[in-house]
Amino acid sequence: MKLYDKIFRPTVYTLPNGKSVEKKASRAPFYALIVLIMCAVSVKITGFDMKILVTRIGQFFVIFQRMIPPKKEIMSAVWEPLFDTVKMSLIGSLVGSLLSVPFAMLASTNVCKNRVVVSIVRLMFSIVRTLPTIVTALIATLFFGLGTLAGTIAIAVFSFAYIGKLTYEEIETVDMGSFEAMEAMGSTKTRAFITAIIPQVLPFFLSNCLFNFEGNVRYAAILGYVGAGGIGILLNERMSLKDYSSVGMMLISLLITVFIIESISRYFRKKLV
Amino acid sequence: MNKRIEEAYAKRPKNWVYNTVLAVITIGLIIWSAGVVETSGSTAGGGQIARNVLKGLFTPDLKFLFDFSTSGVPYLMLETLCIAFLGTIVGAIISVPLAFISASTLAPKPIAFIGRMLIMAIRTVPNFIYALAFIRVSGPGPFAGLLTMGVCSVGMVSKMYIEAIEDLDVHVVESLDAAGCNSWQKIRYGILPQLMPNFASTAIYRFDINLRDATILGMVGAGGFGAPLIFAMNGYRWNEAGAILAGLIVLILIIEFISTKIRVKLTRG
Amino acid sequence: MIKFEDVGKRYPNGFEGLKHINLSIEQGEFVAIIGLSGAGKSTLIRTINRMHDVTSGKLTVDDVDVMSLYGKQLRRFRRKIGMIFQSFNLITRTTVIKNVMTAFVPDMPWYRSTFGIYNKEEKIKALECLDKVGILDKAFVRADQLSGGQQQRVALARTLAQDPQIILADEPVAALDPVTAKQVMDDFKRINEDMKITVLINIHHVDLALKYASRVIGIREGEIVYDGPASDVNEEVLTKIYKGKVDNEGNVQEEEG
Repeated sequence: MKLYDKIFRPTVYTLPNGKSVEKKASRAPFYALIVLIMCAVSVKITGFDMKILVTRIGQFFVIFQRMIPPKKEIMSAVWEPLFDTVKMSLIGSLVGSLLSVPFAMLASTNVCKNRVVVSIVRLMFSIVRTLPTIVTALIATLFFGLGTLAGTIAIAVFSFAYIGKLTYEEIETVDMGSFEAMEAMGSTKTRAFITAIIPQVLPFFLSNCLFNFEGNVRYAAILGYVGAGGIGILLNERMSLKDYSSVGMMLISLLITVFIIESISRYFRKKLV
Repeated sequence: MNKRIEEAYAKRPKNWVYNTVLAVITIGLIIWSAGVVETSGSTAGGGQIARNVLKGLFTPDLKFLFDFSTSGVPYLMLETLCIAFLGTIVGAIISVPLAFISASTLAPKPIAFIGRMLIMAIRTVPNFIYALAFIRVSGPGPFAGLLTMGVCSVGMVSKMYIEAIEDLDVHVVESLDAAGCNSWQKIRYGILPQLMPNFASTAIYRFDINLRDATILGMVGAGGFGAPLIFAMNGYRWNEAGAILAGLIVLILIIEFISTKIRVKLTRG
Repeated sequence: MIKFEDVGKRYPNGFEGLKHINLSIEQGEFVAIIGLSGAGKSTLIRTINRMHDVTSGKLTVDDVDVMSLYGKQLRRFRRKIGMIFQSFNLITRTTVIKNVMTAFVPDMPWYRSTFGIYNKEEKIKALECLDKVGILDKAFVRADQLSGGQQQRVALARTLAQDPQIILADEPVAALDPVTAKQVMDDFKRINEDMKITVLINIHHVDLALKYASRVIGIREGEIVYDGPASDVNEEVLTKIYKGKVDNEGNVQEEEG
């Protein structure tokens, strides 16, 4: 940003006693300008139109109004896919998180001394994380057929990358002193890792896993859209039939499920960290 | 053996009951969930399909990837970028008042509770339902997409705003109080400077996520790369899908790199 | 007995950390090593349990050549040497007693060490060690909730739990306030006298070194410039060790010439 300072000269304040201080020109207007330009470009490309939004916003609520009153009879058909959604997220999160651990170790500079391995594993985590879960799910349905297995795998892949990244960041910031102390007491490196490093990382790891699980329950509800199992299939079906009162009931049941899971998860996460 | 030591030993916390119960519940849940691994059976010739898919994904359609007209990958990415950007801004703005009324440290308890329930409800509705609702407003296209992104962002962004507000250092406000500032001055000079970097950082983080989530929008016709991607995949044109995914991966990696840089700068000043 | 015979240590970047060290320390001595930062105090102490390798000369502990050890033998050798660190190096997120019990980990079967299962015998022994340093009541508290002085005592208890013959302490009181530092030094002294454990301590506080240690070793630029009883340390000796920067009350002086 040297150039910026050359264009916009710093203000010089001179005190009565002859001393002077320089205040660099604020960058805020520059950043604001960039954001404004990006907004303008985005408005043009997306066709954002305030007039349409104001005049027709009522239409947005039509669907939600039709969801009331929710159709209670549909519940008998909802239980199974709803539980499937929870199960998919649970097992997917579990498998993904566990699988990520050895890779996370390889991606931490304080555990793995080989720079090349570290960068390769990190790049792999980044690339896997960019894959939209819905695309992973779709590909999984082609490999494993329609059904919950595909959804479970998609969630596992996402959890793998998400938990993996958080875990290696956690391992990197760990205090290596206790590891050194274990070595000085005559431990092997493996035992020193198990005894000294794992207790420091574990609470954060478990907390992240729970958080990830929480989020995945929500996400799993979408996966049904590509036929990867769970309540999404039913939601999608009822949406296309314009059976909005059933959709309303499903959303309420999903809301309650998510609320319960979040409360439990929050309780344990508070205890952990 | 020393008596005091025996006493201390006897006083050790015994939480094995709690731990065992927790372990049994966890294992029970896992077994219960494991039953979910069912499938309609692998589609015929799964191996062959797998090979075609992988081959297509790793040999992206280069002509499509570098087509700079409005039907090529670069334009799709630009469109997605714009949807996500404007959507994030809309969401970030809506979240501010919502977060202030839901922060338990500022707002009265009942209002804060209602605010939180509202945020949770917004978060729980799957995004394709918002997309379908917004298509009724503006017709199919990127406009509907950005409105959806806005609403979807509100859930997570306001939740993180609330945390930032509740973590505020109130001592600054105290000192401003002592200096004789009025409420507005306290917000302007005591609270906003603390919150701004945090809010900006949250918005940038959400922007990252919105880019990834844009896929599902396209699937219901709300703009971005989702629709062409799904058409390509459903039509088994895997090299086309590969081109879009390649574009997406590059875009997200670049954006992630930039946003991490900005966020580090925001938190360290 | 620890014996250095013309020991030298050259780092891979060519820096000579130790030069021609000749030293012999009898069992049960309390030795303080003083010198400027970077003079080689840490290096000297860490060569004894081979956290650092020596590159020339011969270093023996109880007639065992330290450089001849590797793998399992080295780890068994390290069992009888305790080490205390400036930053305590505790596992902060677990309880005090579990920290002390990590001393047993190297001798435990793998399945117990992996899952952190300790038996009653080990728990009692850990409690005894905590009692020796006077923090028995903190046994089931999480280590990160203790003050710095208490944490250093936990580290001391952990070292005692491995039944060491020698304790190496690398700046054990540098992170503590003067009062706590004195208490921890008292603990060292008591352990040294009651259990006849050799104590080697790196220390910046000249006053503490002179008060507690029976023998003082002064190091300057990797060489021993003073080795003798604490009572013989005078201003002249300190000038030699600290290049004339400190007098024996620990006051910093202007450099001469």
